[in-house]
Amino acid sequence: MTRRAARFTINLYPLAFRRRYGDELSALLDQTPVGVHTLFDLLLGALDAHLRPYEGLTGALSVGERLRASASGVLACWVVFAAAGFGFAKATEDPPYSAAGDSHGLLAAAHVGVEVLAVVASLAVAAGALPLILAALGHARRDRRVRGPVALPVLAVAVYAGLTALIALIARSQSAQHAPHGTTGAHLAGIAWALAGAACGTVCVLASRRALFAIPASGKRLLCALVTGTVVTVAMVAIALTAAAYAIALQVDAPRLAASPNGPFGFASTNLAFAAQLIVMLVTGSLATLTTYRGWRALVREPAT
Amino acid sequence: MRGGANPDYYYGMRYIGERSTDPGLLVLASLAGGPKHGYAITTDVEELAGVRLGPGTLYGALARLEERGLIESLPAEDRRRPYRLTAAGATALSEQLRAMERIARSGLARLRVAGATR
Repeated sequence: MTRRAARFTINLYPLAFRRRYGDELSALLDQTPVGVHTLFDLLLGALDAHLRPYEGLTGALSVGERLRASASGVLACWVVFAAAGFGFAKATEDPPYSAAGDSHGLLAAAHVGVEVLAVVASLAVAAGALPLILAALGHARRDRRVRGPVALPVLAVAVYAGLTALIALIARSQSAQHAPHGTTGAHLAGIAWALAGAACGTVCVLASRRALFAIPASGKRLLCALVTGTVVTVAMVAIALTAAAYAIALQVDAPRLAASPNGPFGFASTNLAFAAQLIVMLVTGSLATLTTYRGWRALVREPAT
Repeated sequence: MRGGANPDYYYGMRYIGERSTDPGLLVLASLAGGPKHGYAITTDVEELAGVRLGPGTLYGALARLEERGLIESLPAEDRRRPYRLTAAGATALSEQLRAMERIARSGLARLRVAGATR
């Protein structure tokens, strides 16, 4: 199990690194004892390889591959970022927060700002992904190997949507029976829903990445993905900063509301939930900036054909 | 020759000089005995310094050393690829080990003097 996890961890290294050293790393893992420390060592190695890229490997990827890596990297960051953003939206949707916004201009402006930027980023994700999805669907008709990676995200989203509808139905029937809110059952259902969401997001990201590298995509489509990815990245950073402004304004203008237990499932205060969400937003925003920068750098060095 | 105006040499020296247990230095010391692949380097470093390099640490060090021209890869055997020291790597290692030897010698001498006056 640990060995399998270690082999999977190799996938977290940058593509250029995997292409050059992946087989050797895998061969080494076959020969050496593998423990939790090995996993940790590989995770740190992967992080280091992303943060301090090996200049000697820059030529290991073609421009097209670099643009694909940037597009799928931004998508992965966006999925994680959106989960944190959803937590932010849920924490601030209740009437007391709207009332606080009515009496404090900065709170209202920051909240609206986050919503507008989230819509812009979502539209940019759709605009960048659509041409590539169409190309993948067209290619899947001819190439049986691509059908799995193309079908998996659709299946994952369908299952997740079904689960969401089921949980919503149960919650509505409980509400109709005037069952008390915040029961253990409701919390467990919420946790299961969140875990299913994480699994769905992971499947979508990994399968779409596989499909993206398996299909021929024109330079125009990849350039479109890079431009929209840049918009998404800028929006992510702007959302993180605006959400931070909201969190600070809430602490200053409505400290009681900020300290209330309105985090996920009521387990944490609004402040603590905001802190966790902002950390996720800033980390994913930074990673998206890094991968977008690498895409543009590759394009400037050698324009896509 | 002490590296002359070769920037790779100085960057390499700076890189491997950070710590005496630096993975880069340990890998260079291991490769001083001849070309080796990843597993052979791991076991050799364990015998040499009592340090077990994790696979992520080992390949991070190999990539940095190769990037700086201190080692080079040989044709792959199956999935394993042996590495060997380059001339710049041998010079950098030799300089680093001499510097460490000087520090060790003067440190020990100072300890002896301090022991005598105690």
